[in-house]
Amino acid sequence: MNTITALSLILFLLMIAIGGKKGVKSFIALFLNFFVLIVAVIIMNDVNVDPIILTLIACAFITCISLFFINEVNSKTKTAFVSTIMTVILMIMLIRLITEYGMIHGFGEEEVEEQTIFSYYVGVNFVNIAASVIIMSTVGAIIDEAIAISSPMFEIHRHHPDIKRRELFLIGMRIGKDLLASNANTLFFAFFGGYLALLIRFFDLGYTIGEIVNSKVFSREMLTIFAGGIGVALVIPITASVAAYVLTKQTKSIHDHEE
Amino acid sequence: MNLKKYCYRLSKGKLVMFTFLIILFIGSIIFVNNNDRFYNRSIVEVTSIAQVDEREVVDQRQNRDIVFRQYLTGVVKNGPFKGQSIQLSNEYSQSRAYHPELSVGHAVFVGIEEQENGALFGEITEIKRDQVLVLVGWLFIFTLLIVGRKQGLFAIISLVLNTVIIVYTIHQFAATANAELLLLMSFAVVVITILSIFFVSGFHVRTYAAILSTLIGTFALLGIAIAVLELTGEQGLRFEEMAFLSRPPHAIFMAGVLIGALGAVMDIGVSMASSLFALYEQNNQISVKALIESGREIGKDIMGTMTNILFFAYVSGTIPSLLLYFLNGAPLGFTLSMNLSLEITRALAGSIGIVLTIPIGLVTTILMIEWKRRKL
Repeated sequence: MNTITALSLILFLLMIAIGGKKGVKSFIALFLNFFVLIVAVIIMNDVNVDPIILTLIACAFITCISLFFINEVNSKTKTAFVSTIMTVILMIMLIRLITEYGMIHGFGEEEVEEQTIFSYYVGVNFVNIAASVIIMSTVGAIIDEAIAISSPMFEIHRHHPDIKRRELFLIGMRIGKDLLASNANTLFFAFFGGYLALLIRFFDLGYTIGEIVNSKVFSREMLTIFAGGIGVALVIPITASVAAYVLTKQTKSIHDHEE
Repeated sequence: MNLKKYCYRLSKGKLVMFTFLIILFIGSIIFVNNNDRFYNRSIVEVTSIAQVDEREVVDQRQNRDIVFRQYLTGVVKNGPFKGQSIQLSNEYSQSRAYHPELSVGHAVFVGIEEQENGALFGEITEIKRDQVLVLVGWLFIFTLLIVGRKQGLFAIISLVLNTVIIVYTIHQFAATANAELLLLMSFAVVVITILSIFFVSGFHVRTYAAILSTLIGTFALLGIAIAVLELTGEQGLRFEEMAFLSRPPHAIFMAGVLIGALGAVMDIGVSMASSLFALYEQNNQISVKALIESGREIGKDIMGTMTNILFFAYVSGTIPSLLLYFLNGAPLGFTLSMNLSLEITRALAGSIGIVLTIPIGLVTTILMIEWKRRKL
């Protein structure tokens, strides 16, 4: 059997055994997300499509799948959806600046030497592609945090319907802060794991610190880690304020009806 | 009175820390903008752009692109030619798939060649990126501190600590001949797990439960990954396409799987341990059955999003390569298998670790709770 098929099968069985119906949904969601990503890349081939807009649309789809398909459409997931999209838009603006000024777009020296048979004059804007890579690699963590903050905020509001907007916001912030370190860590290790070969190469070939720091591939990895950290931090106040706003607005309108 | 004193001390501590950070920030910005003399390679700052040629190119696949050539004048910032003027040229395409477009003020590393008449010509080898790196690094630190305060600080400290441990391990590996990378990394994983979880939760039984579940989960994942790769004969995996290789790929790949999933597995281990212990602390008489049920519910909720995080963190990095293959006319199946086989394997193995850690965390934590009950 093919290695990937075998691993997928094991993952699928484990997810069913432990998660039941939700496990099956989580598994299908992984494949749907993969599909969205590949379709987005195929559309990016068209020079006339703006990769940034495309990334935003792809992120919206991915967020829908992760929130509405695995869970369900309710005010908790809707709030998480709005917060995720707001964070992604904010991040895209920041990341576009980072890729432009850091000049980390396109392929690095170490990558080009492996793909010499290809033409690099392909017409697609790689500055935008680089921004899209960074946002796509952090969107999973942003979604995770948005739902992890909005869900308990709704629960708390259900138990204490008279809670003030500011108090609710502060509770959301506290929940988010507790998640910050572990989410930043999750992303950080994933990036490190992916680029272990690069680090070993730097040591093996005797790169100096100056060469490592300024090389395109290394700076790109570092900037991706920084951007990911900024993303998982920014989503906290955004989700806390959106959820606090939605919840207190709802009570107000209910009270209005009662009057 | 005591409260007043406390507030005063708190704000004073914050003030000291704030001032310290601002000094560090300003100091590091001044340093990276004036560190040219510490580099061995020559650095040139672009002072003017004399002329730009452009020509349209069409490759075999009818992709259109425009190639620009910039003729630049710059000033050498360090080394024996310091202060002298130099001529450079830079070729980049509109798609900017390789070289960037330069403008006045950019600093670049160059190899300098002196002509007979004393004029200097240089070839650009790399862009100086340290300023941007430091600036964005500070943006990262400030965002985490402003949003997360104490937890933000903890996050930064643990990131730095983990980086030091991993880099040290790789350094040891590179320095010793015949070292077993996987063995060294496993050791690093144990150290990182113990330090990180202690750092977050302190001395508490739930800390031990979290550490134990994380370690069992991580090594179970490694065992499964090795076994599956062995049993399937690595069919469909394109190790020859692995990037940045300077050594045989298997050990590096497996070490990457191990480190890559560690953050997510640790997250699951900590969530399971702390939420089950919270239930136990609310009600000391809670039955094992009720704990198992709650644990499963918690597990179901985190499973989907955690596997998603890993998946996107791994697979997104291949987008530029996928595009390059597609635009060069490579067929879909070939492109996906060349670029994605290893990333998908990594993501799947990591996800297996995540899902496995849910029951492992459940059992470990319940055993610890039972042990604590008996002791009481």
